[in-house]
Amino acid sequence: MESWLLKGGRVVDPASRTDAVMDLLVVDGRIAERRPAQKAGGAPAGARVLDMRGRVVCPGFVDMHVHLRDPGQEHKEDIQSGTRAAAAGGFTSVACMPNSEPWNDGLSVTEYIVAEARRRGVVNVHPIGCVSKGGRGEELAEIGDMVRAGAVAVSDDGRCVATSALMRVALEYSKIFGIPVIDHCEDRSLHAQGVMNEGYASTLLGLRGIPAAAEEIAVERDLALAAMTGGRLHLAHLSTRGSLQKVRRAKAEGLAVTCEVTPHHLLLTEQAVVDSDYDPNTKVNPPLRTEEDRLALLEGLKDGTVDAIATDHAPHHEDEKLREFDDAPFGLIGLETAVPLLMDRLVATGEIDLTRLVTLLSVNPSRILGLGKGTLEVGAVADITVIDPGHESTVDPSTFQSKSRNTPFRGWKLRGWPVATMVGGRLAHELQVTARR
Amino acid sequence: MLERESGSRETTGRTRRRQQGTSARRGAQPGRPDGAGPVVGGAAGAEDMASAPPLTALSQRHLLGIRGLAAEEITLILDTARAFAEVSLRAIKKVPTLRGKIVVNFFMEPSTRTRSSFEVAEKRLSADTLNFAPGSSSVSKGESLLDTARNLEAMAPDMIVLRHRASGAPHFLARHCRSSIINAGDGAHEHPTQALLDAYTIRERKGRLRGLRVAIIGDLANSRVLRSNLFLLKTMGADLVACAPPTLIPAELSRLGTQVTCRIDEAVDGADVIMMLRIQRERQAGGAFPSAREYYALFGLTPERVRRAHKDVIIMHPGPMNRGVEIDSAVADGPASVILEQVTNGVAVRMAVLYLLAGGKLGELAP
Repeated sequence: MESWLLKGGRVVDPASRTDAVMDLLVVDGRIAERRPAQKAGGAPAGARVLDMRGRVVCPGFVDMHVHLRDPGQEHKEDIQSGTRAAAAGGFTSVACMPNSEPWNDGLSVTEYIVAEARRRGVVNVHPIGCVSKGGRGEELAEIGDMVRAGAVAVSDDGRCVATSALMRVALEYSKIFGIPVIDHCEDRSLHAQGVMNEGYASTLLGLRGIPAAAEEIAVERDLALAAMTGGRLHLAHLSTRGSLQKVRRAKAEGLAVTCEVTPHHLLLTEQAVVDSDYDPNTKVNPPLRTEEDRLALLEGLKDGTVDAIATDHAPHHEDEKLREFDDAPFGLIGLETAVPLLMDRLVATGEIDLTRLVTLLSVNPSRILGLGKGTLEVGAVADITVIDPGHESTVDPSTFQSKSRNTPFRGWKLRGWPVATMVGGRLAHELQVTARR
Repeated sequence: MLERESGSRETTGRTRRRQQGTSARRGAQPGRPDGAGPVVGGAAGAEDMASAPPLTALSQRHLLGIRGLAAEEITLILDTARAFAEVSLRAIKKVPTLRGKIVVNFFMEPSTRTRSSFEVAEKRLSADTLNFAPGSSSVSKGESLLDTARNLEAMAPDMIVLRHRASGAPHFLARHCRSSIINAGDGAHEHPTQALLDAYTIRERKGRLRGLRVAIIGDLANSRVLRSNLFLLKTMGADLVACAPPTLIPAELSRLGTQVTCRIDEAVDGADVIMMLRIQRERQAGGAFPSAREYYALFGLTPERVRRAHKDVIIMHPGPMNRGVEIDSAVADGPASVILEQVTNGVAVRMAVLYLLAGGKLGELAP
């Protein structure tokens, strides 16, 4: 296996409390040496040198919430295209939700995903199994089998775990394996036929609304059950101020709960649906909320209430989104835009610093899923994300590695893009790194 | 100030001269229907400011909604409609204005009034019309809206009049099609020609819109008629109150510039105009109210309730009516009702919209 010398980059490794300009030597797929940057030389024989001056070198980013659509919906995405999109976006690991066709609710689908990822994937793929058989919310799925085959968490994905009793059982049973139960918090009866946030914008546009309470009721339920069972609860893509308040309070009370937010909820509001004149690429579940909610999520990022940023990458074929707003499926892609969006809109603006960004994108998601990654300490697997904070580019979906194009960020001019992604010492993606300078 | 619009029939020529005087409103700050801007200023000011030349043509190609239309544009459409109303009184009810133009009536939802009204309007303007409905077309074979529209476009129509159950469907077509799109009702969003014909009807009866107290009562949550009327009447300076059971009031409705109440007596009190909205019976199954009977008891427009309104109140309904649910027959058929006038006026208003979107100018109406 090729050896690498990453020279002169700014190494941001929160796990070892490091933020310094360093040289990083990668041998046999692991970090072999870390030392203060040297002017020249120092490369062992045969090592390829990558000039990292002016770049930020981070432990590989982990997107703990993606949809790879494989098996069964390969017209939207497959494991190869999805992992290529991940690599291009600076992610070295993804955890994929079980809503494939068939759902990943047992040994065979989990084994397929793991094997297919080994054959065609370019980043690490960690399957998330179903909580219930077929995701139907009735009987518990064979979680033990799935964990044995590589599942790192369970979730009924877009379906909020159907009943309180099932959620209780899931939180209890998953303790055997030490894995989190990930829930998409949503009271279905309140969600009804909603297609966007319920509020001023839905009234203005005459679209059916999804109230914030639909999410908050489920958050409250799950927190109560986590407290009762002592199980590990992870709340997916929280979107409202009320949800954040509940999680903040639960954490203060010592509950082992974690949560994630998405870049689109951090950067967009329901106004995007108005401004785009019903563009289905602003239709997502949970829906884009209000400015007040958005600011609350940002506050949660800063004060530690939010543990992770995940994209909820949800590819849909262009034809499926080229429809009436009511009829288009929910979901946006995010793998190839997350890092530049966060760099440009949160880091460059001083909302959060690089250490916090890396914590949210690498350290914490790795810890929540028990991946043993998220660090650049000597001996660690060489999963590395390199960002060029000065690189400016416009979001152009036609260049995406993903098979899908459903992004609301088309045309956004952003500064700070991932330029190299290394997975286990193998260069999975490279953009202008060696070419420049 | 507005005696010129007192409702008597006039010749086209006289109407045109009057329009020179009425539609000059550029100096006014129209109230923004979304509540973002200032409400229309002093009562007399706007209509008297005749310094700017009056608007005689529309700049847009599509009519997707009332939101976004300025007061002067609304006035232009209403004034143009007035000129066209005269055509309907002739022995030969036809002008050659849109001769050689193709208009497609693309109705993806059942409609009696709106569809036939558009069709009559198109025929009176001498346009060639095509009618498409889901039952008889390839839509029933699973073709997407966009594909159907593109196939219609392949026949080079000039305008597409779209009725669709999904809010925003006309905006979607406007993004992807070449033709002018006229929204004939989209989901619970807008029904702009209905609001225009309502405004026309009010103006004919009351001589003005500004300062009138208008009560809108019924299924506010699911009504496109409500939204278009709120946007229009707010822009024109009317005083609005919307009334429904709280289960049928959409979130933050007051931000659209209306008072909101769940007490009908309060809503009709002193009203110059009462506009009823249809109650869809399927809302009962959705739990919005327990029964049509109880709805009528609490929100039905009865003669007793009408007596609380202004003595010259007019009663409107966009149809189709549910007699004995939202409105008592004695009111619907009573002397204050202008419900059938609304239907009549719809033709002239739609003629005006078709004409102006096709690039027509107010001062150049064909004789």
